Amino acid sequence: MKEIVRCEGIWKIYNEGKPYEVRALSDLCLTISRGSFTIIGGPSGSGKTTLISIMGTIERPSRGGISIDGKNIAGFSDVALSSLRRKRIGFVFQDYNLIPGLCAWENVSVPLVPEGIPIRERKDRATGLLETLGLAERAEHSPEEMSGGERQRVAIARALVNNPDIVILDEPTSSIDKESVSGLLDIMKGLKAQGRTIIVSTHEERLLGNADIVYELIKGRLTGHADNNGMHQ
Amino acid sequence: MRHFNLFYAAARNIERNKTRGLLVISCLSAILVPFISALALLEGVRLQAGISVESGADIYLTMDMYGRNGMVPAALAGEIKKIDGVVKAVPRVAGRIYVEGMPAVLLGLPAGSFPPSLSFVKGGLPDEDGIVVGRGIARKLGLDTGSRLSIGTRIQAIIDHIPYVQKKVYTVSGIFDAESSIWTSNLILMDVEEAVSLFEMEGFVTDIAVFVKENEIGQVVEDIQRMNSYFRIQTKAIARKAVVTGFNRKGGLFTAMYVVAFATAIPLILMISGYGFSERKKEIGILKVTGWQTYEVLEMVFFENMILSLIAASLSFILSYVWVRFFNAPFIGGIFIAGAEQMPAFTVPALFSWMQLFLSFFFSIVLTLSGSIYSSWKTAVIPPAEAVK
Repeated sequence: MKEIVRCEGIWKIYNEGKPYEVRALSDLCLTISRGSFTIIGGPSGSGKTTLISIMGTIERPSRGGISIDGKNIAGFSDVALSSLRRKRIGFVFQDYNLIPGLCAWENVSVPLVPEGIPIRERKDRATGLLETLGLAERAEHSPEEMSGGERQRVAIARALVNNPDIVILDEPTSSIDKESVSGLLDIMKGLKAQGRTIIVSTHEERLLGNADIVYELIKGRLTGHADNNGMHQ
Repeated sequence: MRHFNLFYAAARNIERNKTRGLLVISCLSAILVPFISALALLEGVRLQAGISVESGADIYLTMDMYGRNGMVPAALAGEIKKIDGVVKAVPRVAGRIYVEGMPAVLLGLPAGSFPPSLSFVKGGLPDEDGIVVGRGIARKLGLDTGSRLSIGTRIQAIIDHIPYVQKKVYTVSGIFDAESSIWTSNLILMDVEEAVSLFEMEGFVTDIAVFVKENEIGQVVEDIQRMNSYFRIQTKAIARKAVVTGFNRKGGLFTAMYVVAFATAIPLILMISGYGFSERKKEIGILKVTGWQTYEVLEMVFFENMILSLIAASLSFILSYVWVRFFNAPFIGGIFIAGAEQMPAFTVPALFSWMQLFLSFFFSIVLTLSGSIYSSWKTAVIPPAEAVK
């Protein structure tokens, strides 16, 4: 499969040069293939979220290069990165980050607001997606009135509303129950079937078996990866 | 459509954050209501002063007495009348008096020189021993036509260490409507001869009002001055200039005070604008994650402030209108109308205009933007992953 994301010698150091400097990622190299289901695994604090944040262009690496479709985006301006996110990347946070006070369909349609799409069309697109994710009857409800699983599906719908080809989910199973995990898995399989690239950070065993490739991170370093051909160090 | 969407998003943000919106509007209104009221009063008083000057005589003539305005012989009016270009020379007696403890202005004019524009609510022109009074003073003292009013001007005797003012009793023959004018509300009009007698200045008047043919003021002033160098001449142009200077000074003083008040209010507004900033920071981060550009975030923030400012300015305008028009501008009227508190009841003059609304909106938006645009920009340009933390 053709690669879509490439990380080359990525470093992420917080508070660099200060006594409380933290090395979240160290000299990390990996590639992600187009249309694949990739899992970034590892224990808490291993740098999973930092890595997917960099791949999702919402965080910049301290050093190293990151390419999307062969273009190094490390030097991209704020404007260029925002455009890239708007067109190509959907991001689902661990704690969903929905906007309180906005109902489900309004939250889903947030990325469409600056696109200049009329409100009626935005509502149609958002409610259509919510319907696909089994939340049709919750479209007018605010996040405060929803369960964790429902909120997560609203966040997924928001990530998908611009029809991105890369969907990134940060620890999607950390706040949902068992039934919701299998529902989530179905959603991810569906997205993969549509040809989208799925990148998930998790240490949830049940998801691992469904991934095309699993990268293992420990203390910010890639310690190995497993694919359909087995485990590699 | 993109701008409309951002405007709509801004309106929804205000709706979602009602407490913050209400606080900002309240704070802005607290600053803007006195500001709009003051501007309206200033304009109203200035307008009335202008009208008074324009409708008055072209020249007021007095004598110089130790550097102050002094009495002029009443007979001088006849001599002035003979000067080329003079239409009319009216001897007047004008003075400040106290009537039952209330300040009033007494004006004595020859019987035929009462202003034709005088509009009587009741009664009519004074006859012998008669006076006409402004509606404000009539209401305050409970006067009606036929009422008797005693007026005295000088202490005549001290008996047992107590000074006594000899008073003369007059009959109210008419009440004129001048509620709209701050200068005529407390006016008492009587015949000039009666006023001369009251002030005990036989043969003299306080000034002579000279009405001159158009474009001949300069020549008439020269001719009068030539008659006697001790004459003090105040032309309409001088009066006009004095009015403008006086109001500009008052307006300037008020504006200066207000700039200080604004400066004091800025930190408060900044604090309130920043109210709930951690939530706002996170929301901006979310918008950026979903692909919003920084300028789109700022446009939405601008619209938010625009809506809040528009509401605050409109509300303040309405409140100012109510304060001034329905409650007669308590607390602030006295700043622009000297002695307003002691004067009999009158309607304070005020002129409301779109300019005040625009100025209020402008001040509001400058204040709210200064409290939010920089912090929003700062948040929008950091990596979104940091902003959503």
